[in-house]
Amino acid sequence: MTASPPALLDPPQWPDRYGPELYHYAYRRVHNADAAAELVQEAFLSALAARASFRGEASERSWLFVILKRKLVDFYRQQARQPLAAAPEADPEEEAPGPLFGPDGHWLPAHAPQPWPAADAALEQQELQQILAACQRRLPPRQQLVFARRFVEEISTEEVCQELALSAANFWVLVHRAKLSLRRCLERHWLGTPPPTSAA
Amino acid sequence: MFLPAFVRDCRTATRLIERRADAALAPGERLRLWAHLHLCVYCRRYQVQSQLLSRLAPGLAAGPPPVSAELRARWKARIAAASGEVE
Repeated sequence: MTASPPALLDPPQWPDRYGPELYHYAYRRVHNADAAAELVQEAFLSALAARASFRGEASERSWLFVILKRKLVDFYRQQARQPLAAAPEADPEEEAPGPLFGPDGHWLPAHAPQPWPAADAALEQQELQQILAACQRRLPPRQQLVFARRFVEEISTEEVCQELALSAANFWVLVHRAKLSLRRCLERHWLGTPPPTSAA
Repeated sequence: MFLPAFVRDCRTATRLIERRADAALAPGERLRLWAHLHLCVYCRRYQVQSQLLSRLAPGLAAGPPPVSAELRARWKARIAAASGEVE
């Protein structure tokens, strides 16, 4: 098969033509502005280096998307390799998101869920959402990513596992930890100070 | 202690609560979770609160910050620099 002339590609125009679209795509998948910008840049540079292989079978645009998706896969793999100081996640059987539970698996008294006031007022919902956003940013990267993909973007479990190259067991460990941390974070910052003891 | 272990095992119960939000549990798991929730007010709270988190989460889907002129310029500069290297 003969290569189409590389003139079909117009690299100096890429940032204006496809930058925003690629960036948007990357952002939704990494939930981090700097990482998204970096990924788009890497995609541009890889595309540039590989432009001899562009055959013009696909549009310039979809070719760039293919390259960006590869960069995302690399990004996810990198995240998976990152050692996590906050919580050891290497072993999916090791289920200890900090000492929330005692040795028998029961809630430690300091961490047992407290009753929350009903948050049906729109204002309260908004306030809650802001706290939740702040709490989400404090999760370890992989939990943050899994939570963002599954609950914020509402992608199916199967798709998230595939995308992030996670086993189902690993996925559930991450979801469980993320929910436990977010619940705890919200309780502390929403209800503030010492939890009440009376039942709701 | 005569009670079965799952009565105290909130770690497992909360995990099952998360999984159940996504798909049906195996019959044994369902029964254990049902019994646990019957006895454990903390995990009943956890379940309600976890569901609230799930409902609130889609509201966090803020659009990405717009692509700034600086960012575009940076991309262009990198492309230009790399083009020089390639050619």
